[in-house]
Amino acid sequence: MNRKRLVLLLMLMGTTFTSGCWDKTELNEMAIVSAVGIDKNEAGRLVGTFQIINPVNVAGSLQGGGGTNPSISIYRATGDNVLELDSNASTKISRDMYFAHANLVVIGEDVAKEMGINSIFDAFERSPEFRATTRIVIARGVKAKDLVETLTAIDKVSAEKVIKTIESTEKQQGGSITINLQEVIKNLVSSGKEPLISGFTVRGNTNKESKIENTQTSNMAANPNAVGIGVFKDGKLIDWLDGNQAKGTMWVLDRIVNTNVNIDWEGKKDAVTYQVLRQKTNVKPKMKNGKPKMYITVRAEGDIREVNAPIDLASPHGSIDIEKKLAKDIKKDMEDAIKLAQKNKSDIFGFGELIHETHPAYWKKHEKDWDDVTFPKLEAEVQVEVFIRRTGIRNKPYLLDIKKGDQ
Amino acid sequence: MEKAKISGYQLFVLIFLFEMGSALLVPLAGEGKQGAWLVILIAMIGGILLFFVYYALFQYYPNQILTEFVRSILGNFLGRIVAFLYILYFMYLAARVLRDFGETLLTVAYPHVPLFFANAAFILVVIYTVRKGIEVLARTSELFFVLENVLFLTFILLTIVSGMIHLNNLKPVLEINGVEMVKMAFSKTIFFPFGELIVFLMIFPYLNEPQRLKKIGVGGLALSGIFLSFTMAVNIAVLGVDLTLRSQYPLLTLIQSIEVAGFLERLDVYFLLKLMIGGFIKITVFTYVAVTGTANVFNVKQPSRLAYPVGFVILLVSIVIASSYSEHIQEGLSAVPVYIHLPFQVIIPLLLLIIAYFKNRKKSNKHQQHKTELKGGVEGK
Repeated sequence: MNRKRLVLLLMLMGTTFTSGCWDKTELNEMAIVSAVGIDKNEAGRLVGTFQIINPVNVAGSLQGGGGTNPSISIYRATGDNVLELDSNASTKISRDMYFAHANLVVIGEDVAKEMGINSIFDAFERSPEFRATTRIVIARGVKAKDLVETLTAIDKVSAEKVIKTIESTEKQQGGSITINLQEVIKNLVSSGKEPLISGFTVRGNTNKESKIENTQTSNMAANPNAVGIGVFKDGKLIDWLDGNQAKGTMWVLDRIVNTNVNIDWEGKKDAVTYQVLRQKTNVKPKMKNGKPKMYITVRAEGDIREVNAPIDLASPHGSIDIEKKLAKDIKKDMEDAIKLAQKNKSDIFGFGELIHETHPAYWKKHEKDWDDVTFPKLEAEVQVEVFIRRTGIRNKPYLLDIKKGDQ
Repeated sequence: MEKAKISGYQLFVLIFLFEMGSALLVPLAGEGKQGAWLVILIAMIGGILLFFVYYALFQYYPNQILTEFVRSILGNFLGRIVAFLYILYFMYLAARVLRDFGETLLTVAYPHVPLFFANAAFILVVIYTVRKGIEVLARTSELFFVLENVLFLTFILLTIVSGMIHLNNLKPVLEINGVEMVKMAFSKTIFFPFGELIVFLMIFPYLNEPQRLKKIGVGGLALSGIFLSFTMAVNIAVLGVDLTLRSQYPLLTLIQSIEVAGFLERLDVYFLLKLMIGGFIKITVFTYVAVTGTANVFNVKQPSRLAYPVGFVILLVSIVIASSYSEHIQEGLSAVPVYIHLPFQVIIPLLLLIIAYFKNRKKSNKHQQHKTELKGGVEGK
């Protein structure tokens, strides 16, 4: 009987002392990091900016009160690698930095251009705390710290604002690309695909962005904006894609969701606006005379949203003319994007990977010189089909009636 | 041997969970690149062939566990030595899996806990189960089987729903040519996890319907092989070959990348549950057979009393076998299959089978009468 009690006691002690409490961290011992910015100083060392959530103020603002204090705090540290930034920052932070909720990593443009991003991500990937789904952006024209420390109005935590803005820009416009840590590393490693990372900047007065007044006006002085897509080669930022180049690239990548395509009509610029509702891009490599050729076919469906030209949309002929013109314009954007990538010698479309998948023997021979020799000479044929399904709640534009009355 | 019986379904479940065990967590057959899933299937066929060798041995001695019939085949002295070697083998494997388990737990969830304490906490549960006997283990595994499959189905569903599967990542399937694949399957993957089925030669006699054993064994191996192959295919389809090979635990990386509707994410606990279930069943089976084997060879009346000493040895071995995780994995990939798995899983069983064949043929020709008497005598023990 006594022995049984002893065993029971031992078991109770065992379960108390060995089950999980060992590595406990109380909530008030944690500093929850929401974003990390990485810059470079003049001496070539890394400067890390950590955006830490101020839980009381975030919660307060949700209830309608609060807002008197910023919902984020910023800490900075200098070091030679990423983990050194973390440990050097501990001289300033009273709590342990907790990275499981870090949703955003901002890389400074100078870091991306001069040092390259190859040597940055290992610490993020290796840590079990850090998420593979963390989004990556490049601070374009500003320091990463400017973006990380900016206070924003609607989304109290600016990391959230940046992520949501990129997502909506990609969806509405096709001018940005949502990419996470895992995909960036995958593309860096792959010899048949180079990464694309969205750019983000802070427009306006760059001295006030970290003050609470920034959010106290309806028209913020400093507001983070999504701008363009960065092109990488061998881990270094070499070019930016803007406007139609970015859109053309997104068409080839099959990542267009909803975007507006504007076409000129009889000398009038951007007279017709067409909104894509769904689309599908197929890329197929085929061998021709021992050389691969990419066949890219696009099929887009959508609606007419704005017409500032006297076109009779009620007749099918009007629609077909617009469809043809749209197809021509999209095709041109895509071909320009491909030509630009070939000029940059950076296979951002993953054509190399496709050839690896379909023609492994050819790939083995050309893997080494793919980016510099084979890809720039690669032939591509683009075919675009556009369908106009609906024209909104009007048929003919009223402009057509005005013109008639004038005559 | 304890007086216990397990049903066919329980054995099937036990085999399935045992095979899935730690193999589910590591990049199994990773060198097969895009064709890793194919390598696993080839190895599974090899594993089924090995199972037939074990099955044939079982047919000759349906009422004896491995350590017992080794002595019937090789004689008392040599048989005892071989049986003892098998006990060491099982204990070593138990220690290896325990180490896998502890290392994973420390890497993923408890970085500051000393390995000894993580392993000790786990082996205590294992010892407790071993003391309770095979019937309890079999019933536990029935429960876990349901849980494991619910986990598996939901995780596959979430992976599909989050739209991460890119089947193109699986092309070209023959990145490694077919001959290489077969070589890889038969030099590595067949031993881990499929060949480890040899431990069940210590459990088969408990089965209450031995006539169905063939179906149960092949079924358990096939189902676990298909699950493993499928999991590896999903890993590669989602993560790509490079990342899968760079991951210590591809399944964890896969689960961490699940993001459904912006809120269903960070499901790491899935991985830990799988780790617990797989690790528990596998370590317990190894420890259990080590305990019954020791009791059998050294004529210990109450096997359950050996659970503590054997468990303690396994715990110590699990700590000292390697100084780092990379060393542990490297041993498991290069040395263990050739120098340990190959003799214990293939060479010795084949030799035993050949000797048993000639011995029993002679017997059945000359001493038909005698054999039945002998069998009756063993049963009487």
